[in-house]
Amino acid sequence: MDQLLPTEIIEAGGAFPEALAACGDLDALLRLKGAYIGREGSHAARLMDLLKTAPKEQKRDLGAAINALKQQWEEGLKARQAELETAKKTRAAQASQWDPTLPPPVPVRGALHPLNRLMDRLVDVFRPLGFHVEEGPEVETEAHNFDGLNIPEDHPAKASSDTFYLAAHPELLLRTHTSPVQVRTLLRVAPELAKRGGIRFLAPGRVYRKDEIDPTHSPMFHQVEGMLVGHGIGMQHLKGTLEYALRALFGPHTEIRLRPSYFPFVEPGCEVDVSCPLCAAKGCRVCKGSGWVEILGAGLIHPNVLAYAGIDPAEWSGWAFGMGVERMAMMLSQTPDLRLFFENDQRFLQAMGGLD
Amino acid sequence: MLIERQSLAQEIPAVAGQETRQLCEILAALGFPVDGVSTTEGTDVLDVDITANRGDAMSHRGMAREVAAKLQQPLTPLPDEGVNEGAALVEVRLESPACPIYATAILELGGGETPEAAQHFLRCMEATPKRLAAVDASNELLLRYGHPTHAFDADKIRGALRVRWAQAQETLVTLDGLTRTLTSQDLVIADESGPIALAGVMGGDSTKVTAETRRVLLESAWFDPKTVRAMARRHSLHTDASHRFGRGADPAMARVARDLLVARLQAWCGAKLQGAWTAGAVPQAQSPIPLSEGLLNRIAGEALGLDLAEASLVRLGCQVARDAQGLRAVPPSWRHDLTIPEDLAEEVLRLRGYEHIPSTLPPLEGPPEHLAPAYLQKQRVARRLAQLGFHQTVTYGFISPEVDAPFSGPANPVEGRTLANPLGYEYSVLRGSLLPSLQATAEQNLRQGARQVRLFELAPAYVSSPAGPVERATLAVVWGGILGGEDYLSPARAVLEADLTGLAKDLNLPARPPVHRLGEGLFGIEVAVADLPLPQDRIIPSFRAFSRFPSVERDLSLLVDLDHSYEALHGAMAAALPGDCLQDLRCVDVFRHKNLPEGRQAWLMRMRFQADRTLVGEEVDGWVASALAAAESLGAKLRA
Ligand SMILES: [Zn+2]
Repeated sequence: MDQLLPTEIIEAGGAFPEALAACGDLDALLRLKGAYIGREGSHAARLMDLLKTAPKEQKRDLGAAINALKQQWEEGLKARQAELETAKKTRAAQASQWDPTLPPPVPVRGALHPLNRLMDRLVDVFRPLGFHVEEGPEVETEAHNFDGLNIPEDHPAKASSDTFYLAAHPELLLRTHTSPVQVRTLLRVAPELAKRGGIRFLAPGRVYRKDEIDPTHSPMFHQVEGMLVGHGIGMQHLKGTLEYALRALFGPHTEIRLRPSYFPFVEPGCEVDVSCPLCAAKGCRVCKGSGWVEILGAGLIHPNVLAYAGIDPAEWSGWAFGMGVERMAMMLSQTPDLRLFFENDQRFLQAMGGLD
Repeated sequence: MLIERQSLAQEIPAVAGQETRQLCEILAALGFPVDGVSTTEGTDVLDVDITANRGDAMSHRGMAREVAAKLQQPLTPLPDEGVNEGAALVEVRLESPACPIYATAILELGGGETPEAAQHFLRCMEATPKRLAAVDASNELLLRYGHPTHAFDADKIRGALRVRWAQAQETLVTLDGLTRTLTSQDLVIADESGPIALAGVMGGDSTKVTAETRRVLLESAWFDPKTVRAMARRHSLHTDASHRFGRGADPAMARVARDLLVARLQAWCGAKLQGAWTAGAVPQAQSPIPLSEGLLNRIAGEALGLDLAEASLVRLGCQVARDAQGLRAVPPSWRHDLTIPEDLAEEVLRLRGYEHIPSTLPPLEGPPEHLAPAYLQKQRVARRLAQLGFHQTVTYGFISPEVDAPFSGPANPVEGRTLANPLGYEYSVLRGSLLPSLQATAEQNLRQGARQVRLFELAPAYVSSPAGPVERATLAVVWGGILGGEDYLSPARAVLEADLTGLAKDLNLPARPPVHRLGEGLFGIEVAVADLPLPQDRIIPSFRAFSRFPSVERDLSLLVDLDHSYEALHGAMAAALPGDCLQDLRCVDVFRHKNLPEGRQAWLMRMRFQADRTLVGEEVDGWVASALAAAESLGAKLRA
């Protein structure tokens, strides 16, 4: 029967499977479709012309041959079209797909300084007990920094080797502790102390001592001072308050320990240890195996301090404490060098600070 | 203060059986924490921390007294050396109340040197034995009993001894070889030739004991603590003696220590006592200190009662009497720190142990006070900036005058803010601005490889005034480096001045603060915290109606001169638009390109309108036309 078909058609028929496979997209397929089974000029069209002019006795066989050929082509094209359409859909789906593991844009975040955070946390801890915050100037008078605190006139801390003084104002100095805020606050509230029912406050702030800068010393550092004045205040109230506060700070299982000590502005005075928050008091490098770390100094307000402010120590009494912020921050964070807190490397601040 | 265990046990035998760790706990509970324990020559040596008020505890005897009182165990009695006093061999005249008693003796030294036991003790105390019996014995006595003594070469003393105030400009060569020029506040021991010792501080070179010394004159006196402290400070001469006398030695020990020293020299080197005598007398005991039961129980937080108090104070060496008001205690001659009733109460609690103090929260007697607005303001702004991506810094309040000057200006002279005794020139001035510190911190961060620096600080800046530096709570922000470019969606660009202006807007600053250019791509702003607007005092502000009708947006692209004022253009356009319908008018794009007419730029102005009705196109077109006309009147042209 093949002898009825022209040679070029037979060749085209033979080339069809390969041409079909070579179609990479739907456009190429459309072109191939045109060439084989298009309405005009295609191989199929030419075959139809051939059928029209064929002798009558050949028409039946020729027709069958042409139909077979056309059907083969049409089926092949249809199958290939389905294949290509599926492939196109898959690519489209891939194009709109997004890899969630790519690094996304992240909102920036800064950080409060770790020392400020620690001071803020202390304020938070004491707020429920009715403490507010008092602030005082960093440039202080000798009277507020020393005299009002029962510090003897010849105390070594007053020496220019220990305390920074102002050149043009010899009576002014950079406060060496936050305790002058006690003096200022007591002087201010003394006339209304009975009306307001005593006072209780924290005084966080920066203080200065003439220390050379090294891994454990800084000429500027931070303290948090706490003070309470009321009626009949004794050591039990100091212990109770500190127990509450330090448990809020370090956890409910924290224990505290008071040891006798001496500061001119309190009597009795004590050092306060807290059960080591780093090892749950089991003993570690920080607590030198003792399970205790020294955290602050405290005591009952010396009657001279109350009297200086015009408060009758026979009626009023109170307690005070002072805490070194850097010391606590270094202890809690295991920061090896105090200078890191004042260098302000963003990597340090980011890692040690936070937003609240 | 170093305490050697076995020597302590000689004073209080009860501790002999105790472990060193137990002993450390007892000392800490008494207020003498042990900083460390070392083992020296086969014995434990404790490094005990002694507070400045407890000069009486600075010896083995002193520490033993404390432990004995705590443990209720007896002290070894002080040895009675049986030295008989006789007539003065050298006249001693006490001419100042700062020296009420001066016990002395003259001995002729024999052969022999410091025994090994004493040398061992001195080595444990980290003191170097001098092998001069008189010197070593005096040292050993000091560390064991806490009373400083001194030995002069008796043959070098001329005439009578006087304890007197120095005359101004008198000089004395002290044992360390330095020539000291004296003042009338210096108490000296003098002979006919002049001062031979700084009383209670250091002996003189001319009368010092050497290997050739044949006869010694011993000094065991008591000097006023304040006088000795002042001398030690004035001459920067802090010695073991000045330490003890400065913190208050025991005047009753003057004779006892002299006797002990005599006995040591007799035993150690066969010295022969030529005579012993004392000028002056132990001063009167302190007047009694009262302690009422009320005060004691208030401080203790529980009803301890006066019986316990009396027993505790007696154990500490006080003489106690009871009366209707409570008790009255005369402190022992060695306790100069006990002066007020609270001191006595502390002693009672201390001996009992602070661990027994009860624990309770103080009652609230009045309403708590609110946090001050100024404090809250700082907290608020710090949190806002941290949330915006800024890092809070803490930098020193003092800086170098050079870096301060450009930011402080002539209105804030540096003289009023300069420290008399700074750590160095670069830390000598209280800063007039926080920006120099932040600039240095930013540069340091950039050098360390930070792509972007976002820093802020809240701290006082100082303004000179006749009364001294005035502190102004200040906020400074520094921003620089590259923004974005850290992920595949955010393009990178340099931080610009405009970013700081926008930040100032976020902080609601009433006036636009000047943006300081601190370096290439590094900018800063600084404002007084007082100038930050206070938050509204209402938690939720009063309701303001807003339209639910759709808003209409229109853009105008205007060609304006490169130096055209945006503020003027914005003002003119806004004035031409109906205020009740104009929601927003702003430039949303600045276009500068060589294709634009020379000297011109294009601003894309966006207007947003909204009203309590649906806006009609024609009406909005009319408004836009008037806005354009207003812009054109200022020289702007509609961009084709
Ligand atoms: Zn630990």
